[in-house]
Amino acid sequence: MTVRTDAGDALRRLTTTHLPSWMPWLLLLVAVALSATLRDNFFSQYSISSTFATFVPLVLVAVGQAIVIIGGGLDLSIGAVAALSSVVAITVMGGDDGRVLLGVLAALATGMACGAVNGLIVAGLRLQPLITTFATASVFGGVTLWVLPTPGGRVPGMITGTFRLAIVGIPVTVWLVLLVAAAWFLLKRTRLMRHIYAMGGDPAAAYASLVPVRRSQALSYVLAGAFAGLAGLAILANSGSGDPFIGGAMALDSVAAVVIGGIALRGGIGSPLGAIGGAMVLSLASSILFFVGVPSTYRPLAEGLVVIAALALSALSDRRKT
Amino acid sequence: MIEVRDVGKRYGGVVALAGARFAAEAGEVHGLLGPNGSGKSTINKILAGSVRPDTGSLWVDGRQVQPGSPTESARLGIGAVYQQLTVIPTLDVEQNLLLGTEPGRWGLLDRRAGRERASAMLERLRPALGEHVGPGSLVGDLSPGQQQLIEIGKVLLRRPRILILDEATASLHRPQVDLLFDIVRELREDGVCVLFVSHRLDEILRICDRATILRAGRHVATVDLADTRPDELVRLMVGEKLAETTKVPSARRDEVVLQVDDLHAPGVAGVSLRAHAGEIIGLGGLQGQGQSDLLMTIFGALPRTGGTVTFRGRRLGHYRAARAARMGFALVPGNRGTQGMFSLRSIQENLSIVSLWRRTMAGFGISMRRERSAAREAVERLAIRLGSLDDPVSSLSGGNAQKVIVAKWLLSDPVVILLDDPTKGVDVGAKAEIYQIIRTLAAEGCTIVINSSDDRELAVLSDRVLVLFEGAVVAELEGEEIDEERLVSSALLVSARADREVSG
Repeated sequence: MTVRTDAGDALRRLTTTHLPSWMPWLLLLVAVALSATLRDNFFSQYSISSTFATFVPLVLVAVGQAIVIIGGGLDLSIGAVAALSSVVAITVMGGDDGRVLLGVLAALATGMACGAVNGLIVAGLRLQPLITTFATASVFGGVTLWVLPTPGGRVPGMITGTFRLAIVGIPVTVWLVLLVAAAWFLLKRTRLMRHIYAMGGDPAAAYASLVPVRRSQALSYVLAGAFAGLAGLAILANSGSGDPFIGGAMALDSVAAVVIGGIALRGGIGSPLGAIGGAMVLSLASSILFFVGVPSTYRPLAEGLVVIAALALSALSDRRKT
Repeated sequence: MIEVRDVGKRYGGVVALAGARFAAEAGEVHGLLGPNGSGKSTINKILAGSVRPDTGSLWVDGRQVQPGSPTESARLGIGAVYQQLTVIPTLDVEQNLLLGTEPGRWGLLDRRAGRERASAMLERLRPALGEHVGPGSLVGDLSPGQQQLIEIGKVLLRRPRILILDEATASLHRPQVDLLFDIVRELREDGVCVLFVSHRLDEILRICDRATILRAGRHVATVDLADTRPDELVRLMVGEKLAETTKVPSARRDEVVLQVDDLHAPGVAGVSLRAHAGEIIGLGGLQGQGQSDLLMTIFGALPRTGGTVTFRGRRLGHYRAARAARMGFALVPGNRGTQGMFSLRSIQENLSIVSLWRRTMAGFGISMRRERSAAREAVERLAIRLGSLDDPVSSLSGGNAQKVIVAKWLLSDPVVILLDDPTKGVDVGAKAEIYQIIRTLAAEGCTIVINSSDDRELAVLSDRVLVLFEGAVVAELEGEEIDEERLVSSALLVSARADREVSG
């Protein structure tokens, strides 16, 4: 009984603690410095453009994941949603430049529909987010294989081309990350986002304080789905073709980015901006490992260690405060 | 303006309300009074839309209403300040003040309008809140009193026509209470109906026009406070004295088993006590004044920050619950569902879990035969009615489940038994049986410390009662002195006296 209370306390401490908000940016600085020493042309425009190209999908799902986690939830299906959105979009577009807009809308709609499914189950039926999204991830994965059984398809040149452009000397991929940050600044000013923060801080108190908790909870998953849909498009732009297996590691990566970004897993604390930083740190770390010569088979292991290290670090930094 | 008619509410087998009623007018401050467990908070939760009554009806402005959620209740013009705070610690002051009523258009916040509204309320509360609290201060960093004020401000910003203040002054200091009362008087001028729930008798007398007294979920009386004396109120709360319950002679022996000196811990502020073998010590007072914390600290489940614990003449260093259990301490927790048992596991497993180490062979492996016979013995000793030892505990009634929890500790042959509200939610018959068990244990020489929210229970069982207020012992009743009326009045009057000291 007491053992259980102790464990409960430890768990609560571990999940409410979070890294200080400057931490992702410090880590990013370190990662950039490391990358720069390992690679000669790291700061060339081409290199920056392609580095940011690998950032964009993870940055998008990390922001989506951050919104759900801030609201006290969890979305393990977010990678599967991104994959499904990407194969739906590539199928709709069929390599035709004239149907790019249609493809974008299809990806967004797919993402939001999947998010709505998650949201309705979690908020409506009040099932655990962990189990729910773990299960829906499988379902979405199945649908993805049904839409596009094998890797292939052609992404319209307009999308891949734009992705490699630079506007006023700054690569489009950099602009895109900045755009995501800007989108957050708009989102932050919505009543919905305020309610998501309140709900993540204390759901019972939020309910008693007239916050429409269930609606906000459902909408947080829809928002995450929208970001996952956009991530699906970014995946297409980056790879040039469709791949039904692409979403596999993204869910864990997005959670890792959120933790590194200083967001409490218990909800209520942190900003998706941190998750953007966390996503970039994670992407860079992965490419650093590649350049140091760590075989790609060990990368999930290294990433898992990074997540545990981030959690441990956050628990430590919090203990010092009290 | 608002009327509650014959409202009844049960939680499982526990009756919280059984035909409570009252009516309050616009421009009136109406007090709700009653001892622990009288159903005051349940009435408030019903009005606030977070609990639905089983029977009876609510009327607002002469129309019957049935708020199904806090939002619906707010739409009726009811604003509730809960006893359990509903501020969000991770949001700042302004965000908390505006929560649920943020001004804006098309889902976007109107930040300037919000800032204006929050600042106006903040200035209103400023004298009580202190200089350092701004709209951007994180609410989790504020003191309990300041958080309470933010909670009140949040509800006031909704401009309720009916305002419920449920123990809203519990964590406020005197000047903060004064400001709140100024606000309440202004609201009364404006025709707002204020329902004021407090256990502080002097506050009820200061601010309320009329008061309704509840006891055991029933309406006792509604009185005009202008011509009612405090001792009359106490008498109404306690009720007529029942026929003296048979009090068993004390089994107290001379040996001091447990001695606690100047114990400090979260929620405990310098408690000393000496407990003898065979003695039953009651912990009384209003609920949540540190009684549970004291028991948890003695058991080693909460960290001790100061003071000493001496057990059988030996001073104990820091210890954890597991060690305390081996030394002969037992804690029967109050929250049966979450702390006391594994409700889906079998009765036998639940019975044996704390004393497993006694029956293990060579450090591992459990003799099923010995486990079974030990469990059977405990079941017989406590007269627990059950189908089979293999049934899950959740199949038992509340009273029998509680007996399983008591029984599992008996298997470890405890010396000191700490009981935290052991008969909460237990029916009368099972209560009597649990009393019998407690008395038997004392007769066998166990030292028993029992916290109870039921004053009658303390009066019946205890050799001595320590009355706690804000984590400290403020009164001690012994032997014949212990009766319900004295218990209630010492708890209430002490709180009034403590206020005066704070203000003076």
